[in-house]
Amino acid sequence: MPHGGILVAISLLLEQLLNALALAGLLFLVSAGLSLVFGILRVVNFAHGVFYMLGAYLGFTVVALTGWFWPALVIVPPVVGLVGAVLESSTLRFIYRRLPIYQLLLTFGLALILEESIRVLYGPTAKGVDPPPLLQGSIPLGAIVYPRYRLFLVVLGLVVGAAVWLFLKRTRTGLVIRAVAQNAEMADCLGADVARVRTLVFGAACALAGLGGVAAAPMTTAYLGMGIGVIVDAFVVVVIGGLGSIPGSMAGSLIVGAAQTWGAYYLPETAMVIMYAVMGAILIFRPWGLFGEEE
Amino acid sequence: MRRREFLATATVSGAALAVGAPVFLRRAYAQNPIKIGLPTVLSGGNAQYGIQAKRASELFAKDIKGKGILGRPVEFIYEDTGADPATAVRKAQKLVEKDGVKFLTGTVLSSEALAVSAKCPEWKVILMSTINGAGALTAKSFNRYFFRVNTSGPMGARAVSLYLAEGPMKRLFALGSDYAWGRDSVASFSAQIEAAKKEVVGKEYPPVGTKDFASYIAKVRQSKAEGVYLVLVGQDATIFLKQAHQFGLTKDVKPIMEIVELENMKAVGDAMEGTIGSSRYPFTVDTPKNHAFVKRFHDMHGVYPDMFDGETYEGLEWLAQVIQKAGTADDVEKVIEAWEDSSYEGLEGPFFMRKCDHQAVQPGFAVQAVKDPKYPHLIPKILATFPGDKVTPKCRTEEFS
Repeated sequence: MPHGGILVAISLLLEQLLNALALAGLLFLVSAGLSLVFGILRVVNFAHGVFYMLGAYLGFTVVALTGWFWPALVIVPPVVGLVGAVLESSTLRFIYRRLPIYQLLLTFGLALILEESIRVLYGPTAKGVDPPPLLQGSIPLGAIVYPRYRLFLVVLGLVVGAAVWLFLKRTRTGLVIRAVAQNAEMADCLGADVARVRTLVFGAACALAGLGGVAAAPMTTAYLGMGIGVIVDAFVVVVIGGLGSIPGSMAGSLIVGAAQTWGAYYLPETAMVIMYAVMGAILIFRPWGLFGEEE
Repeated sequence: MRRREFLATATVSGAALAVGAPVFLRRAYAQNPIKIGLPTVLSGGNAQYGIQAKRASELFAKDIKGKGILGRPVEFIYEDTGADPATAVRKAQKLVEKDGVKFLTGTVLSSEALAVSAKCPEWKVILMSTINGAGALTAKSFNRYFFRVNTSGPMGARAVSLYLAEGPMKRLFALGSDYAWGRDSVASFSAQIEAAKKEVVGKEYPPVGTKDFASYIAKVRQSKAEGVYLVLVGQDATIFLKQAHQFGLTKDVKPIMEIVELENMKAVGDAMEGTIGSSRYPFTVDTPKNHAFVKRFHDMHGVYPDMFDGETYEGLEWLAQVIQKAGTADDVEKVIEAWEDSSYEGLEGPFFMRKCDHQAVQPGFAVQAVKDPKYPHLIPKILATFPGDKVTPKCRTEEFS
C-alpha cells in the first residue's frame, strides 16, 4: 500500500469487497430469472437480457414522467413481467416440444425485435437516471467514501434472493413450480396446470430482469446493447451456479462479481479472461455447476 | 388449400410491387446516380455514431438536391455492420460489388476501418473516414485509397496536451478503451504529457462495454492524480463519468476527455459540467458557415449536431468538391489525385489534405462542457483553438515535432 496505515489498507479491501457485492447484486437479479426459466421451461432464453434493458428504459420513463425513482422500482417489474408473460403465451408456448434450436432462434429473434423497438422509440442516446435523493452521494466508511446507491444494490440483491428462495421453498405455488421443474408430465397428471405455471415463471423471471434493469439504470444509465452485455455475464453465472438453482445463481453472481471487479483491480491485463477461467475451473470439477444436480 | 396458396402468392407479389415499384421508378428517373456507401453501425450500443453519419448524409443529400455532383444525383446506401470488423468488410464488399459503390464512408470503430481500408486497394474504391481515430490508419496501415477527413485520436490527444501543458495539473492518469483507438491515443497522450514535464501516474485499458468502473475509479483515486484522461468509446465514457460522480471522484480528479461529445453530455447531465477535453467538431464554432449549418441541421433533425454529424458533413462536402474538380466520379485514381494536396473551407475552419498520408490538416480544439440556458443540455465551450500545423502529426507517423 503506497499510502500506509492499517485503516487505509482495510478500507481499500472493504471497498473492493463492496464493489464485488454491488455488481453481484445486479447480476443476481438478471441471472436468477435466466436460471429459473431454464430449470422449469428448459429454454435457454436469449431474450432475457432485453427484458433487463426494457426495465431500465421503462424505469427512465417513469422517473422522467413522475420525477420519482421509487415508483419506478415498484411499477416497472410487473409491467416487464406482463410483457414477458404475453410473449411466452403467444410464441414460446407452441414450440416447447420442438428441438432446442427453435427456442434459441425464437428467443434470439424476440431479443432483436425488442432491442430495435427500444432504439426506434427512445433513440440512440443513453438515458441517464438519477438515484433517489435518499441514495445520492456517498457515505464515509473508514478511510474511503462509498456511494450510497451501491450499498442499496447489495441489500436489494440479498433481499430479492431471500424472497425468491423462500417463495420456492415455503409456498404452495413454489411447490408446484418445483414439481413442474422436476417432471412436467407427472405434475400435469397430478393436476398442476403446467401451461399456466410456465407462463407464470417466465413472467416472473422477466419481472426480475426488469427489476434488475431499473436498479441498474442509475449506475450504468439505460443504453442500447446493455441487454447483450449482461446476458453473457448471466450465462456464466448460471453455468457456474448450476442451471435452475437459486442459491446457485447467488453463488455464481458472487463469484462473477468478484472475478470481474477484483480482476480489473489486481490483474487488469487479464480482467476479461478471469471470469471464464474461473468458470472453466469449476466445470472441470463440477460439470453441472456448484448447486446444480447431476443429470 | 388452393385459396390459401392464392392468398399467399397475392400478398407476396403485392408487397413486392409496393416495395419494388418506387425503386424502379427512381432508377428510370435518375439513371446514373453517384453512389456513396455507408457500412456503418445502426444497431446496438454504438448505433449513435452510425446515426450521426446517417443524419449528416441526409442533410447533405437535401442540400445538394437539384444540382447534384457533376449534375448527377447522389444516392446513399446504408448497411449495418453491428460494430464487427468482419461484418463491416462483408457489408463493404456487398456495397462495392453488388451496388457498384466507389466511395465508402461511415465506418464507426477504428477496428472496422482498419479491416475495410485493407481491402480498398483490391476493390479500387475510396474509404473516407469521418469518425475513425486510430493513428495507424494514416501511419503504419496507410494505403492511398484511404482518406481521413476527421481529427485523429493522436491529434485530439495533441490538442488536449497543448492545452494542459499551459495548465497547473502535474499528475495525470490515462484510461483508454482496450482496442486500437484507446491504446493508440493513450500512448500518444503519455508521450506528449511527459514531454511537457508532467507525469503520467497510471494507465489502464478497460474492455469495451465495461459496465462497472468501480475498480478503475479506485485505482485513479489511489494514484493521487489531479486529472484523468479518458479515451473511452461513447457509452463507456457516459458510464464512467456517471459512476465517477457517484463515487465523488470528480471532486478531486478532473475528467479530461479526448472527445467531448454531446451524446455524453445529454446522458450524463449536469454531473459532466466542467469536464474539459478536445472536440473534433464543436457545434459552437464561430464561423458563418457553421452557424448556417447548425441551423439547417437543427431544422431538419430537431437536435444540435454532434461531433460526427459535423465531421461527416464536412467529408461529404469535400468529397463532392473533389469529384467536381476531378470531373469524374467513376475514375477513382483521378479522384485520389484531385484530392491530394487540395484545400477545403470546412465548418470549423480551413482543411488541407496531405498527399503523404491523406490526413486532413485542420484546427484542433480544447473545450469545456458548460451550462447555457439557451440549450437543453450542456454544450462544448471552446477554450482554445490550435492551428492545423500544431495538432497534425509528422507525415505517416503518430509523432509530433
